[in-house]
Amino acid sequence: MHPSVEAFALAAGLLALGAALVHRFGFPPLPVYLLTGLAVGEGLPVEELEPLPSLGLLLLLFSVGLEFGPDRLKELSGKATRAGLYDALALPLGFLLGLLAGLDLRGAALLAGVLYVSSSAVIVKLIIDLRRAANPESEVVLGVLVLEDLVVALLLALLGGHGAGGFLGGIALAALYLLFARYLGPRLVRFMEGLSDELVLLLGAAFTAGTALLFHAVGASEGVGAFLSGVIAAGLGLRARLEHLFGPVRDLGVALFFLVVGAEALKLLKGLSPLAVGLVVLGLFLKLPLNHLGGGQAGLGRKRRLYSALYLVPRGEFNLVLGSLALAQGYPLVAQVAVLLVLLSIPLGALLIRYAPELGERLYPRAPRPRRVGSSRA
Amino acid sequence: MKVEEVVLPGVGRKFTITVGSGDRLVIMVHHSGKRELQYFEAGEEDEPQATLDLTDEEAREVGAILAGVLFHPEAVGDTQSKLGAKVIEWIKVLPGSRLAGRTVGELPLPPGAHLLAVDRPGAPLIPNPGPEVVLEVGDTLVVAGSREAVEALKRSL
Repeated sequence: MHPSVEAFALAAGLLALGAALVHRFGFPPLPVYLLTGLAVGEGLPVEELEPLPSLGLLLLLFSVGLEFGPDRLKELSGKATRAGLYDALALPLGFLLGLLAGLDLRGAALLAGVLYVSSSAVIVKLIIDLRRAANPESEVVLGVLVLEDLVVALLLALLGGHGAGGFLGGIALAALYLLFARYLGPRLVRFMEGLSDELVLLLGAAFTAGTALLFHAVGASEGVGAFLSGVIAAGLGLRARLEHLFGPVRDLGVALFFLVVGAEALKLLKGLSPLAVGLVVLGLFLKLPLNHLGGGQAGLGRKRRLYSALYLVPRGEFNLVLGSLALAQGYPLVAQVAVLLVLLSIPLGALLIRYAPELGERLYPRAPRPRRVGSSRA
Repeated sequence: MKVEEVVLPGVGRKFTITVGSGDRLVIMVHHSGKRELQYFEAGEEDEPQATLDLTDEEAREVGAILAGVLFHPEAVGDTQSKLGAKVIEWIKVLPGSRLAGRTVGELPLPPGAHLLAVDRPGAPLIPNPGPEVVLEVGDTLVVAGSREAVEALKRSL
């Protein structure tokens, strides 16, 4: 038997155990996957699990592109855009922090991205699992996430290449894809409508992995490739169908991915400097006041404003992509910040989101409901 | 009634329905097919008074009931008031009705059904109308009697 079967059985068992433990308490499972990985550490045969976690990340980025692509901008309300602009102030602030920490321009830009972007995948999952979707703050938060993902995809395209060639290659490839979708798209959609679900699933997988490979080959970031293929698929009107088809596959891949991130974190965090810890702590709280202000601009009440700021705490997929990029480009500090930030912000964010109503109640006690005129009893 | 629709990326679509009384119903349609309902009393912004989760199947069933597909209530257009076994019914003379232009005397009242009054918009109520009163479109007949007789009258119209 191939050793990967053993590794997969162990990983799946651990994930199921983690999910079962928290399910009783109505707590979302995602942070537990991360913590389980952290607890098991070196005990998890990560090498044997590949390629599932890597594919999981690609599929995750694909689905983020599918859901949070630029065509969502049209549907975005003005209030979400205003909140997103306040949120984007974290970029220059992060850049400044990077320079102060002694990084060069590229390193500071990478750090800015790591501190700025919140995880749409994690936050969407938390919002759904904690049944907050119908609340007014969710609308604002998800709008902010659309903007964030676009900005970070651009940042990744800008910084992700191996030198100038990679950057230009990535841009050219992206332009080619968009042109392709623009001119061949409608014909392709009509063709796809007649295909069976299974064929669409396989074509989608081939398209995503192929695009990532192509981006890597020209020296650009494969994460951007996966994100872009999601954007293209959404542009072709395949959103609902692919979402339905890819959902379970992606969930499994993402769970394994976060498990492996947890398991490998300790190795990466060896020799953690106080500077990195300081940056992570700043990163955790940097966006809270910005998003609180942004929520106010979006017309949320004071409680909802607080909630929207708390919702945006978790960091995830793009921070790790930026982190591994930073590691490859020789900025171990940024990579450490990214990993530690994800490690801390997901459980902390999940807790904050879970207990946001209680927190809001404590900070802003509910005014007694107005009584009818004439009843003067206290 | 005001309906607002918002797309929530990654989650689904949210419909906010404000009805005449100012109460709001928020319906969240998830990609998974799940529906989340929240009810807000008029003037209440923050906390919903009630929430309800429906599966896709349940939501369709409820939708069909709301749309009147499964059961079309008699009360739509007519109003009925129960007095034990007797009922009072308000029957409106609609455009194109056979009643328009005919007199009360020509009304095919079955035994046990009585015409109490004719309510004509913009005019004083005509109580206990005589047989010479001519019915017009827009009139509302107030009929009382046993349920069978009133139902028989309604059927005959």
